[in-house]
Amino acid sequence: MTILSVNTLTKKFGGLTAVSDVDFEVQPGEILGIIGPNGAGKTTLFNMLAGSMQPTSGTVHLKGQNITGMRADRIARLGVARTFQITSLFPALSAHDNVRAATYRTKKTGWMASIFRTATYRAEEADVDRDAMAALHFCDLAGHADDNAESLSYGDQRRLEIAIALAAKPALLLLDEPAAGMNPEEGQRLVNMIRKIRDNGTSVLLVEHHMRVVMGVCDRVVVLDHGEKIAEGTPAAVVDNPDVIRVYLGREAVSA
Amino acid sequence: MMARFLPILAVAAALVLPLATSNTYFHHLLVLWMLYSLLALSLNIIVGYIGELSFGHAAFFGIGAYTAAILGMNFGFPGFPGLLMAGIVAGAFGFVIGYVALRIEGPQFVILTLGFGSIIFTTTNYWVDLTRGPMGISNIAPLGVGAGFELSSALDYYYLSLLLVVAFAYACHALMLSRTGRAFIAVRENAQLAASLGVDVFRTKLLAFVVATAVAGVAGAIFAHYLTVITPEVMSLNYMVAILIMVIVGGRGTIAGPILGALIYVGLLELLRATGALRMVIFAALLTVSVIFLPGGLVSLWRRFADRSTVRTARQAQVEAGE
Repeated sequence: MTILSVNTLTKKFGGLTAVSDVDFEVQPGEILGIIGPNGAGKTTLFNMLAGSMQPTSGTVHLKGQNITGMRADRIARLGVARTFQITSLFPALSAHDNVRAATYRTKKTGWMASIFRTATYRAEEADVDRDAMAALHFCDLAGHADDNAESLSYGDQRRLEIAIALAAKPALLLLDEPAAGMNPEEGQRLVNMIRKIRDNGTSVLLVEHHMRVVMGVCDRVVVLDHGEKIAEGTPAAVVDNPDVIRVYLGREAVSA
Repeated sequence: MMARFLPILAVAAALVLPLATSNTYFHHLLVLWMLYSLLALSLNIIVGYIGELSFGHAAFFGIGAYTAAILGMNFGFPGFPGLLMAGIVAGAFGFVIGYVALRIEGPQFVILTLGFGSIIFTTTNYWVDLTRGPMGISNIAPLGVGAGFELSSALDYYYLSLLLVVAFAYACHALMLSRTGRAFIAVRENAQLAASLGVDVFRTKLLAFVVATAVAGVAGAIFAHYLTVITPEVMSLNYMVAILIMVIVGGRGTIAGPILGALIYVGLLELLRATGALRMVIFAALLTVSVIFLPGGLVSLWRRFADRSTVRTARQAQVEAGE
């Protein structure tokens, strides 16, 4: 079943149409990239998918369920995790606690169960610790479990963000410019990680500027310009599309 | 290792503390300490755990006190069920006010809570038919189950409030080890990220607010039964600020902090009794100094000290291993 289905999604700010009639789908086990020059509407589109912005018209369906205009936390509870363009963590908490907080969606027991230390509570807390450590391991951060998030290096912080998103065990992971500010080596590490995430059964949608990352990891790419979809296809096909070359690739990254 | 036994030691010390003297005035101060501890611990849920500053907390203490007093005076409502009712009524007010105010964050939220607190204070002062206005309500019956069993001495009230403080402190401790508590802290640290992980930020804050206000109401009700007299003064700006001082100077977001803060407040109030109105200035200075130099409150001193000693022992261990 299609994981994410976006139909004629539109966002207008007054007279400006930031996103116009955009359609695309994300299939299970797919890595879909959304690219476009600055101001193409990528971030607006991303925010509408994640529930932090209301669309003007059009629909978004998650595994067949209409999630158009739903609040961010409800979309998250349905199995969508996201990262943020500007690093967003719980800075004063340890890396481990950052990831532990992210297990919220998949667990049930509350305050009362912890007061009475019920068996379910104890079993679930053991799960929380295990899930959290697994997510840290996955992102090569196990060695930093006890370090405060704010004390980590920039690259480690970016990966901690992904660890947080993964600890929520999403069906769909939305990445907002995950490679921003990364050097080529860190970018390559990220590419490998995104592949591994997909191989573990999570579909990935990423909005990205870094062409090397997009071309290296995406199964399909949607190209936006001035809020409209101008091309869609495999990275190789998109690179050869004359429209795409004109608006975007021509300027910097054909070499990628 | 030691941290595990500290709470037990503290409770044991609190149990024997009043036996040190038969001075009833000292016992009276202990009761105030415990009731303010309960109040400060409840405010700590808002200020320390979900990270919003609320000036209106004294109002809920007052609502609890007046609920118990009015139920007793007009309906002959007995003491202990009255405590429960006080918690429910204060929590209901907390629900309504939180429902309106918690949609707004930061400084605007602080001003709103100050506004609500003042409205409740003023209403209590002027709704003479219900509250008897500035004269307050006197001759409030002591807590009890019928005439046979009544809490009469300060010592009785001390042990009752100590029991509630210990129970609530444990509940707060359990909260911090639960999924709900992680959601509280996530909302405090980064609400946007918390929402992206499925936490309903508004509902989480509202839960914290209702629990905090309900517990403040229970503390207020015991206060009313203990003093047998209650005036709108307990909701005044003095008290609003006093509770915040207890939480912030003691150490927000911790359990020992608000209890320590309440002790310092009660102690300083006594020591500075001779200075009259000047003591409010001293309290303001204390708050300022604490916010600037000790943002983690007095309990953070202990943590700094403990950290330094663990670092030292680790280093010693290294040295010993090396030799």
